[in-house]
Amino acid sequence: MTSKPLPSLIAVIDVGTHKTASLLGQIIDGKARMLSFSERRTDGVVKGTVTDLEKLTQCVHEVVNDIERGSGRAVEQIYLSLSGPAAEGERVKGFVAVPAHDGKVTAKDVTEAIQSAKRLEPPAGRATILYMRQPTMLDNRPVSNPVGMAGKRLEVNFWRVTMEEGNMRMRVGMVNGMSIKVRDFILASHAAACATASDADKQGVLVIDMGAGTTDWILYYKEHILCAGSIPVGGEHLTNDLSVALRISRETAEDLKLRFGSAMHRENDVNQTIWKDGDKGVGDQQFNRGTITQVLSLRYQETIEFVRKDVLRRLEAIFPGHAVKLDQNMIPSGVILTGGSASLADAAEAVQLVTGLSARVGIPNFENESLRKPEYAGVVGLMTAAITDAPPPVRRPRGFLAQLKELFRL
Amino acid sequence: MSTPASILLVGLGGAGCSMVTRLSAQLPPEVAVALLDTDARSLSAGTAATLQLGRAQTRGMGTGGEAALGLASAESEEAALRRLFAGVPVVVLVTGLGGGTGSGAASVVAGYAAECGATVLSFATMPFSHEGERRMRQANDATVKLGQKCHGLVVVHNDLLLQQVSPDAPLSESFAAADSWVGGALRGLASAFAPGALIAVDPAALRSLLSTPGSPTLFAYGVGQGEGAAMKAARAACDCPLAHAPGAVAKVASLFVTVAGGSAMTSTEAFEAVAAIRTRFGGETSTVLCARIEPALGDRIEVSVLGASLPAPKAPAKPKKGAKAEDPAQPIFEFATEESMRRGLFGGTPMTFIDGQDVDVPAYIRKAVRLPASP
Repeated sequence: MTSKPLPSLIAVIDVGTHKTASLLGQIIDGKARMLSFSERRTDGVVKGTVTDLEKLTQCVHEVVNDIERGSGRAVEQIYLSLSGPAAEGERVKGFVAVPAHDGKVTAKDVTEAIQSAKRLEPPAGRATILYMRQPTMLDNRPVSNPVGMAGKRLEVNFWRVTMEEGNMRMRVGMVNGMSIKVRDFILASHAAACATASDADKQGVLVIDMGAGTTDWILYYKEHILCAGSIPVGGEHLTNDLSVALRISRETAEDLKLRFGSAMHRENDVNQTIWKDGDKGVGDQQFNRGTITQVLSLRYQETIEFVRKDVLRRLEAIFPGHAVKLDQNMIPSGVILTGGSASLADAAEAVQLVTGLSARVGIPNFENESLRKPEYAGVVGLMTAAITDAPPPVRRPRGFLAQLKELFRL
Repeated sequence: MSTPASILLVGLGGAGCSMVTRLSAQLPPEVAVALLDTDARSLSAGTAATLQLGRAQTRGMGTGGEAALGLASAESEEAALRRLFAGVPVVVLVTGLGGGTGSGAASVVAGYAAECGATVLSFATMPFSHEGERRMRQANDATVKLGQKCHGLVVVHNDLLLQQVSPDAPLSESFAAADSWVGGALRGLASAFAPGALIAVDPAALRSLLSTPGSPTLFAYGVGQGEGAAMKAARAACDCPLAHAPGAVAKVASLFVTVAGGSAMTSTEAFEAVAAIRTRFGGETSTVLCARIEPALGDRIEVSVLGASLPAPKAPAKPKKGAKAEDPAQPIFEFATEESMRRGLFGGTPMTFIDGQDVDVPAYIRKAVRLPASP
């Protein structure tokens, strides 16, 4: 995270596989007031991977132009979301042996431990995008603020997100082309969690952000990020399965998915006949609703199962040798499901079935009602994350000359 | 070695040979059988003509999954293969793709048969999703090559076979389903050309139907019994999983329909069945109908359907001897590849593997779940 204090104007952009959304907000008393919002269909991204940079850049430019025009303000810097398998996360640790005679931790010890953690080089060809703080351990006990406490061995942990250098430069370049600076990257799953999970939830919760191209997940434990990951399967796969199974176009499949789809397949779906258009006119087709729910539920539940396996795999990597169980004891708040594909009927029920955890659909918490839908959790969360993760403003003692300059607005 | 039979059924590779061996018991006498493999053990079976490929390359040990070895093995037996195909009007090639012999040799064998003047129809099985990335890629590549060499190509997904039977059924039962489809097609074709058909056709009709190499081929098969057997069979053919496989052709321009039944079958019944088939599959440009009485069938009626979507106004110019068919200057029909068929809108994008499965392939196919029938 940057250590610069927060500006009063925050712009965020969430580039997804299906759509690109951007939000401009005015920060008043630590809360965002929406100035303008824009979303457009994303071009040039398939399965969370950029395939046509030119088209994508144009799409990003259009969206940014929209919010500038809508608000009458110029955007100078912007927060970018980071999602998909390109952003790889891992845990890094830094140690320091507490040297003072009385064995009390000083602020300098913490800084040294942090530096030693950040000295670890990312794999060749990858750049570090961001560090997210994980619990600090003093003599293997988690502590929230170790300064002043007695102990021998101080350990700081970070969840480090790295990205292939070329990929990162491409994303930054996309925005820089408009003379806008990338202020910071924010992990998309973290953003989605900030929009939908309360601080109490973050004692233990798994947030699954199921978008069009990818399904990103993040696990919070004791208010900190424990681990995060991404599965390259999303809502487009639901649509694709349906279009293959019924041999219909992408548009028809998308439409049927929204109108008749479900993440659960039930016995009595099988004998329901549904009409594509409903007017029974020329070109109208009838389908078995059971086919639709069967195809969708298999894919949906499989994707959640992939997430469950991925979470366990990462937990085992963090706690080698421990039998890690993903149950309600570990994450009392269960699963929060959000993102565009969380709107599929019975989605929470399917998650409950696969994970055995309580599950609910996360609606982003935002003052503007039009954005209170799971599909906007990403963009709303970017704004929330940008505000909450920013360091408190630092008041610098200013010299006489500086005050004088201020007075005359020099 | 020329055979008097009108159809030569060729099993290629381990999977192809075992399927043909299983089938050979229930075939009409008009069908001659040949087995080709690199692995000498597959060739020991009874009455069929056998040819061991690549004796020098593999020493009778099989290819170990190497398609390049399968290809070289087939090329080394060119003279023997051409002798085998000489004078045969229709060659039906049955092979399993994914392994070495099938994937490597299929297009070569089909190519020799076509050059010898035969109409080549291939049935190729695709590996199970669980067999992993390498075999699937090899099979995908092989279908594209094979599709360009033979006149008709019907792809049978092994995943689809699993969908046909209950989850606790023995594996042999799911393979029996594949046998019955291919067997039905062969009996249909064989009886069409044999003397004694009510409405007879000659192999040239099949040739004109399948005259465009690389065009997607439709195949369906159905059986009906008892009252209204013909309609039951036609409906079963319409619902045949092979015709519903992802990416299979929905409607075609030309159809070749064979109806076979016991002595009680009437021509009205046969025509009704054909009308039902035409409603479902098209066949506006031409529908070749063949009907035949086979007393052995009793009150059962079998319907098999072959179709091609590209109407062929004239036979394409034969490639000159020695000219490579892969010549980029020659227009090759865009064949709907296995990849685009199974991966739908994701066709053409890089595969994404999780736990060794390509997750862009619909989940219901990989999990082999049978979908409820359409209304």
